[in-house]
This record gives sequence, structure tokens and C-alpha cells, in this order.
Amino acid sequence: MTVLTDIFKSTLPPPTRKSERWKYSPIAKLLNSNLSTDSSVIDSVFSNEIAPNPVEGLEAYRLVFRNGRFDSFLSDLPIAKGVICMPLSEVSVEDAPEFKNTYSKTEWVGELNESYHQDGMFLKIDRNIKLDRPVLIHHLTDGKDVASFPRHFVRVEEGGEVDVVVWSSATKNSSGMYNGILEASIAPNATLMLEKICNEDGEVYHFSHENIIQERDSKFKMHTFTVKGHWVRNELEIISQGKGTDSVFNGAFLPTGNEHVDNHTIMDHTSTDGTSSELYRGIMYGNSTGVFNGKIFVRQDAQRTNAFQQNTNIVADRGASINAKPELEIYADDVKCSHGCTVGQFDLDALFYLKSRGIDEKAAKALLVEAFLADVISNVPSAELREEIMKIYTERHGW
Amino acid sequence: MLKIKNLHAKVGDNEILKGLNLDVKPGEIHAIMGPNGSGKSTLAAVLAGREAYEVTNGTVELDGTDLLDLEASDRAREGVFLAFQYPIEIPGVSNLNFMKAAVNAKLAHQGQPPIKAKDFLAKVKECSSLVELDGRLSERSVNEGFSGGEKKRNEIFQMAILEPKLCILDETDSGLDIDALRVVSKGVNAMRSPDRAFIVITHYQRLLDHIIPDFVHVLSNGIIVKSGGKELALELEAKGYDWIKEEQNA
Repeated sequence: MTVLTDIFKSTLPPPTRKSERWKYSPIAKLLNSNLSTDSSVIDSVFSNEIAPNPVEGLEAYRLVFRNGRFDSFLSDLPIAKGVICMPLSEVSVEDAPEFKNTYSKTEWVGELNESYHQDGMFLKIDRNIKLDRPVLIHHLTDGKDVASFPRHFVRVEEGGEVDVVVWSSATKNSSGMYNGILEASIAPNATLMLEKICNEDGEVYHFSHENIIQERDSKFKMHTFTVKGHWVRNELEIISQGKGTDSVFNGAFLPTGNEHVDNHTIMDHTSTDGTSSELYRGIMYGNSTGVFNGKIFVRQDAQRTNAFQQNTNIVADRGASINAKPELEIYADDVKCSHGCTVGQFDLDALFYLKSRGIDEKAAKALLVEAFLADVISNVPSAELREEIMKIYTERHGW
Repeated sequence: MLKIKNLHAKVGDNEILKGLNLDVKPGEIHAIMGPNGSGKSTLAAVLAGREAYEVTNGTVELDGTDLLDLEASDRAREGVFLAFQYPIEIPGVSNLNFMKAAVNAKLAHQGQPPIKAKDFLAKVKECSSLVELDGRLSERSVNEGFSGGEKKRNEIFQMAILEPKLCILDETDSGLDIDALRVVSKGVNAMRSPDRAFIVITHYQRLLDHIIPDFVHVLSNGIIVKSGGKELALELEAKGYDWIKEEQNA
């Protein structure tokens, strides 16, 4: 157990409500807790509540982390030609990747990760190599006031392809902070698929930040599902650095109770002929609160960019709310950008129409929710993952 | 089958139905006509259980069951069907899944097991050919991108699938061309049976050339002011509604 006494003495101050980026996601309660990193001996029992493989039937390579530390016993690393996959702690000094994200230098959360990070995944896919199965990173938070700081690095070389699933879970009695960064760079004509699922019990403050750099004609496809989580902030930053990149990033969040979910995305088009498509859908239940902030930059040189952004939110219950803000900054003149953002309620006409055919209110809402989520969920590459996510949503909301 | 007594209903503070009485027996077709704003669509919505309408007085019984006490979905399971004047588009919900859920909800209500896939598909085929609905439309999202005529045919398709006791057609003829009107009417006529009743709400006589009513009622200012046989519709078509209003005032 290492108590983080100096956690609030970082160079950068913790964010407050005065900062626009954090206005709707206050962290005051977290700042009042006494966080520690876990340095106990890793024992053989992973958890009584949660299986090491959280997705039934998903055949994937696996890296398991407990409270931020790698568990080699429960992990199953790929051994394949042209693939390097290992915990960061085992990468030799000369091969160690250089993290380039500015997040660690400009944000309190990022700086904490840089100061305290324990371990993470190092994944490198060589030229024209396509890994046969997804790589699943499973992170478990287990304990009171635990802080963990995973940090993952992915490099896909020219023409390579890989699918990475980042799944985080937490036990019922957990609290503290999950502070994870994933940095990826995708070489020309290479493809990275990334699915991030937060399914945490307990009262963990979950901060995750993905920083993606795309080179010429590369493809990036990401899905972010906040299935369950006390307080979750998903940050995604994609920088298109070469011409003709393709970026697709979708998300769904259905908080309930007093949960809080924040999605902040940045799509930065700096080169020509890029396309990006963003679709985030949220349904706010109970007394939950939500935030969506999607920024799209089209820099002066990024001519013929085609960018699309849509954020659709349903506020299902009286006590719930969401603050949604699309932001577009366009400096090039030959571009096609469209965006839409709505906050509404269940379509009462549609609900009555379904009910008038004998379908009860609950089942009718389930049909509408399923339809609402279909556009986000249907693009997830693995069927097992799609089913698991829908299963949890269904169980949670009792459809 | 259906007994409406002294029905009063309002939306907000606006009282629309003001003591309406109507008796419908199995096998009968009742046409309800009347000027704009007389309460025709309100009657349809109140019978189907639309929540925006508040019933302030009166009773509605379907075969002895108090309809007003039931949720919209339960009314449908008891055999009430409303063909909407403006069918709703529901992106992402396939027409077939929708109908399957509806059929199974009704079966479960009757204590029966869900319909077998084979039987359901046979039924879909039979009912879509009845209203000449393109097979592909039944697989698309509910009403999404359907033409006006296709939407109305989809209503009758759903009605045929669900085999209700009491069918309420709310201005099903509005927005239809002659051919579509013929197809929709054919579908309705094929469903006529001694134990099924229809309430056909319309502005125009032309629908009643195809669907011949047993009774025609004129609704005005929230009550039925005149009832007669099918010839009453012809008289209305020729003379308008003013003479009825005058008759009332006299």
C-alpha cells in the first residue's frame, strides 16, 4: 500500500468547475478521499465477483490487470510472428515507447498518470500482420480508495490490423480512482479497432483518455460503451496527420441512479481528404447526469475533409439531465461537415403506436431503446461483445 | 359488443366529447362522419387509450369489460385496433419484429405459447398479399420512408395480422388515391365477419362506396346528432352539414 500523500501537490492544479472542460464533471468528492496504490502480493484468486474473462464466449488474447498491476497468471499473451505484446514493465529500456500525448503535460489527470503509472500493455503489430483474435485488456479495481494508473501503448505498422478491447470492472465495495491512458499510432494503410467498455460496480472515479495518431490512409474505428459506472469520464483525441485517413468513433451511455457519465471527444483533421464519422447516443435514467462534448477541428490544410458528428440524447426520467455541446472549428474552405445534437424524451407518439398494438409500455420502450442503440452497437466487430453489452444493459434496465 | 354511454372527454381544458352514446353489435359497420373539429379523431383516440385525452364522464364497455380502466396495450389485447390517420414512423424497429412482438403479446395475454416462426411468416405472407403490400416493406423499419398509401396499407396489414374484434379506422381514406383506396377497402371487406365490428371515421362518402356501412352517424360538437342508414352519407355528400346544424337549432 502506497499512500498518495502528494497527489494534490502535482504541478498542475486539479480541475475545478471554473474550467470549461470540467464544468459539468466536478471531482471535489474524489479530492477529499485518501487514495493509495495497491502494492500487496497478487494472490491466485482474481475476484469472487468477476471472472478474468468478462465476455462470455469471446476468444481473445488477454492481459489482466488488478488495481493497475499486471497479472501474468491470468493473462494469455499472443505468440505470433510480427506481434509483440507484453506488459510495459517488461519492455527493455531501449525498446520502451515514447509517449507523445500532451495530456500528461497539460492536465492534472494526465500528469498523475505520468507520475504514478504502474504498468500497461505494449502492443506492436508489424507490417501487413493481422492478428487473428482481439486483444482484451481487462482491468479490475478491487478495494477501498484504490488508485490505479494503467498506461497502454499500441503501434500498428503499415498494412497491419488489430482489434483491442479495453474492459474495466470493479467489485461492489470498490472506490477510488481509475486513471488510464491509451496511446496508439496507426501507420499508413493500417487499421486499429478499439472497443472500450466500462462496467464497474462500486464507487470508482473512472478517467480514461485515448490518444490516437493516424498516418496516411489509416483506419481507426472505436466504440465506447459506458455500461455501468459511478462516475465516468471518457476522453478521446484523434489526430489525423496524413491524407485520406478514416476515423469512425461511436459511443453509447445509459447511466441510472446517481451515476455520472462524461464523453469528451476531439477529432483533429490536419491533413487532406480525411473522413470522420462520430455517433454518440445516450439515455439518461434516474437522477443520472451526463455530458457530451465533441470538438471537430478542420485545420487550414485539411482540404476535402468530410466530417460528420451526431449526438442524440434521451432524458428518460424527470431527475436526469445532460449537458451536450458540439463544437466545430473549420479553417479550410473546401470541406463537408455536418453535425446534429439533440436532447429529448422518448417519442410518445411512437410509444403509443407500439402500445396500441398490444405491446406493453416496458416492452415498447425496450424496442425503442434497442432501435436507438442499434446504429452504435451493430458496428462492433465481435458478436460476443455485442451480445454481452446488450445483456448487461438489458439486465440493468429490466427490459 | 361496444357500448359507449354519455362519454365526455377533454384535452387540457378543452372539452371535445360532450355526452356521446353509441352501440355497436358484432358484424356491424358504423360510419362516423362530421365536420372538422366535431370530435371524430378524439373518439378514436379515447377508445384506443391515448393518454393525452382525459375522460371526465361516461362509460365504454367492450363485451362487458370496462375499456376506460385499461392501458392502451391491454385494450389492444382485448381486441381493439386503431388504424391511425397518421401512422408513426419508427426508425430501427422492423415491421416484422414489431408485429411478432404484438402477436406474442396477445397470445401471452390469452395464456398461449408464442407463435411458431413458420406460422408467423405464412401469416405475414397472407396478410401482405391481402393489401398488396410489397414483401420488402414488411421487413423495413416501421413506416420509415413509406409513401402515404403504403402507410395506410401497412395499417390494414397490421389489422389483418392481429385479427381484432373491434376495428377503428380513423380517416383511413385521407391521402389515398383511387387505387390505394380500392386496395385498402378490399382488405377491410375481406376482414368482415359476423363477430367483428368496424367503426369507420371519414369525411367523405367515397370510402363508403367501397366499405358499405350498416349505420351512418353524424358527430357534431361532441355528440351524435343524427343517425341513419348508408343513404345518410349520400345526403351529407350532396347537402353538406349545415342542414343538420339548422335542424338541431330549430
